[in-house]
Amino acid sequence: MDFEFPKEFDVIIVGTGVIESILSAAASRVGKRVLHIDENEYYGGQWASFNLEAIMKLKNSQKERIANKSDSNFLSFGNDLFNIKNIDYKFHVLPKKNKVCSEEKDKEVVDNNLQEVSQDDNEETWDEELLIKTSRKFNIDLCPKLQYARGNFVELLISSNIARYSEYRSVTRILTWLNNHLEPLPCSRSDVFANTRVSVVEKRMLMKLLTSLNDEEKETQNYESKTFKEFLTDKKLTSNLVHYVLYGISTSSDHTQCKEGIQKAKRFLNSLGRFGKTPFLFSMYGSGEIPQAFCRLSAVFGGIFALGQPIEGFALNDEKFKSLTVRSQTIKAEHLVMGIENLPKQFIKSKKHDYISRCILITNKSVLDCEKEQLTLIFYPPENNKSFTTIIELGYLTGTCPNNVYLVHLIAKQDTSPQEDFKHIIDKLFINSYHEMAENNHDKPHILWSYYCSINDSNDVELTEDLPKNIFVCPGPDLDLDYDFSVTKAKKIFNAMYPDLEFLPRAPDPEEIIIGDDEITEEAKEITEEAKEITEEAKEITEEAKEITEEAKEITKEMTEEAKEITEEAEETTENEINDVKNEKQETISEERQHTVE
Amino acid sequence: MDDYKFLFKVVLVGNAGVGKTCLVRRFTQGLFPPGQGATIGVDFMIKTVEVGNEKVKLQIWDTAGQERFRSITQSYYRSAHALILVYDISSQPTFDCLPDWLREIEEYASSKVLRILVGNKIDREDREIPENVGEEFAERHNMYYLETSAKESDNVEKLFMQIAEDLMKQARTRDLPRYDSNNQTIDGRTSTINDSSCCSRLQ
Ligand SMILES: Cc1cc2nc3c(=O)[nH]c(=O)nc-3n(C[C@H](O)[C@H](O)[C@H](O)COP(=O)(O)OP(=O)(O)OC[C@H]3O[C@@H](n4cnc5c(N)ncnc54)[C@H](O)[C@@H]3O)c2cc1C
Ligand SMILES: Nc1nc2c(ncn2[C@@H]2O[C@H](COP(=O)(O)OP(=O)(O)O)[C@@H](O)[C@H]2O)c(=O)[nH]1
Ligand SMILES: [Mg+2]
Repeated sequence: MDFEFPKEFDVIIVGTGVIESILSAAASRVGKRVLHIDENEYYGGQWASFNLEAIMKLKNSQKERIANKSDSNFLSFGNDLFNIKNIDYKFHVLPKKNKVCSEEKDKEVVDNNLQEVSQDDNEETWDEELLIKTSRKFNIDLCPKLQYARGNFVELLISSNIARYSEYRSVTRILTWLNNHLEPLPCSRSDVFANTRVSVVEKRMLMKLLTSLNDEEKETQNYESKTFKEFLTDKKLTSNLVHYVLYGISTSSDHTQCKEGIQKAKRFLNSLGRFGKTPFLFSMYGSGEIPQAFCRLSAVFGGIFALGQPIEGFALNDEKFKSLTVRSQTIKAEHLVMGIENLPKQFIKSKKHDYISRCILITNKSVLDCEKEQLTLIFYPPENNKSFTTIIELGYLTGTCPNNVYLVHLIAKQDTSPQEDFKHIIDKLFINSYHEMAENNHDKPHILWSYYCSINDSNDVELTEDLPKNIFVCPGPDLDLDYDFSVTKAKKIFNAMYPDLEFLPRAPDPEEIIIGDDEITEEAKEITEEAKEITEEAKEITEEAKEITEEAKEITKEMTEEAKEITEEAEETTENEINDVKNEKQETISEERQHTVE
Repeated sequence: MDDYKFLFKVVLVGNAGVGKTCLVRRFTQGLFPPGQGATIGVDFMIKTVEVGNEKVKLQIWDTAGQERFRSITQSYYRSAHALILVYDISSQPTFDCLPDWLREIEEYASSKVLRILVGNKIDREDREIPENVGEEFAERHNMYYLETSAKESDNVEKLFMQIAEDLMKQARTRDLPRYDSNNQTIDGRTSTINDSSCCSRLQ
């Protein structure tokens, strides 16, 4: 494209990961001039979603560039520390069907075929060719995420009005691996009572615990340095209940500190009942939509976007970032923000690396068949030294795979390698060889395709002190189930750049924007402001009125109580008096009797 | 105000400078050229039109400038009911880029989306692409064809009205991509519980 970039910006952002994209939106939103570039042709970096063919084209890329200028003030972007590693994928179905597949068959026909085939209950119909043909229907996340219905991230989507760029589906069920079975995790009051595997006594225990978590301060007094597991065990919960609460509701591990465990459990419980039966939402068409939603907002507010840019490097001056070189253009900016994979190696202090093990499967049916298509979250607890694993199973309705197959994501902290880390789970839940298929094993889903890789968890990476003060680095994907950490991180960087500006104030709806003569617009604005103020005032008054009503109610209540008490007292007194009188009378009578006896 | 029966999402694509923003503004506000600063913060424009006594709300999305460096977000195409591909009849390069745009559309938009090819700026004297060339291209790729001038307001109303009518026809015969069949609007403030199998919109 023969367009030139402007020569100067307020902030240049390199990389379109989630945190970079949130920052991009936040900066554009408050009127900063933003240039946002990515060397990839797609949005999201390691947070992106890919179709089937595209994800198989990803490489264990080595992208370190050597600075070709001898100037020590010119640094090349990128390092080789945060690449995706151990990529290994494979089709577990025959490469080609024996059935004739006419070349000019168009998509619709394929779709129809699938429908028919599934009605025949013939599971072997998926072959490599057909999967590739429907490649476009897949949106496969490198880093699948869920969102707590009342987490910081969802609140930000709503408060900033970014929610309008994407659609969500709620997770419809949560399962956990317990006693060699997949079991539904009871997470709400009704779940607890509907669960037949939980005894009545356990139900009572669980409800009591869930209620008591609200009184966190008191509960955790003696658990400052203890784990949440110890806390739960001390509560004398049965082992099943400890399992539900520890690995399920609090999404914790054996080592999670008590306070953290309680906070996580509370976040889970607070998010219940907002959008569905579980606390979680999934963004339709994959998690890769999330960075794009923020980028769209950034563009709407003037941010300039360019993908597929051959980024070269940047120049320092006086130990500060000065300018960026891209396509032989030199562009100045006050701040530089980049994803950690774009940071020159010299600024990375720690050499130790944590990895996230990933496995992605395409299967022919759900792990737990159900009439309606489910969006399933599975907590697979630690087992024989294997890490805690999160599994997300997505169906057609999420827009991430074609009809009649499921997309399964496994996520865990890497221990040895993705294959080894998940082997025990794959063996238990799926069938992955022709051999096994032949054994009439019809219960479990068949794996049609598998993909393994390791993704760097760069969230604990330390940077050197000589990193210029106007350069900000965003870590890559983390192990968290949600984006709340990314929001916190983005906010922190934003506040460092612009301490006095608001972070993502609500973007106006199209109906609210009045376009035309500037004067008229100004006037309209003022009127709107005034109207707003009046509304605010009205609200306040309503609030006050409410409070007064409340107070009045309270007073009435108190008075009623008092009146009641008085009445009761009076009654009591009356009774007492009657008794007294009676007693007196009796006494008198007895006295009289005595008298008579005498 | 909200008494419309149908809401359709219409998106515009095409090279920068072909007049997409002008077409939208001309149709929704009757303005040309649109004020410069006014573009900031505008996501999509809305106009309600009437088709055979029915109120139809058109939600018209502009690219937010992301076409300049080929970086339109995929979600821009998602849930679109109609797609207007625009070139400038006085600029050969904008016509030559159409196949690239078609590839992108194939990749991200539904195959059922209504597609319209628009040659804009017919008021200009320096035409480079004859009308029949544009028409043939459109025919070859299963698109409607229309030539417009945002400047002179030629065919602009007709373009959007035709889209509204066509989409209505499709909606009646249920041939439309059904995006909203089980989506629900969720108001972030009132927090309702919905059928869990539903797709949610946070607002
Ligand atoms: C953006 C979009 C959103 C949709 N949302 C819904 C919905 O909420 N409810 C519903 O019942 N139907 C939905 N559909 C399906 C729609 O009603 C048609 O069935 C579909 O467009 C048929 O066209 P196609 O098979 O030629 O799709 P294609 O043109 O082959 O698909 C275009 C793109 O849309 C995706 N897609 C296609 N169908 C669906 C789907 N059902 N769900 C999610 N992604 C899909 C594909 O992965 C692909 O990326 C959606 C379709 C699209 C394109
Ligand atoms: N002569 C003429 N110029 C037009 C017409 N439509 C747009 N333009 C001009 O073309 C330039 C680009 O228009 P714009 O709407 O911003 O294009 P966009 O980048 O596709 O949104 C502006 O200078 C407009 O004034 C038209 O119909 N006729
Ligand atoms: Mg424009």
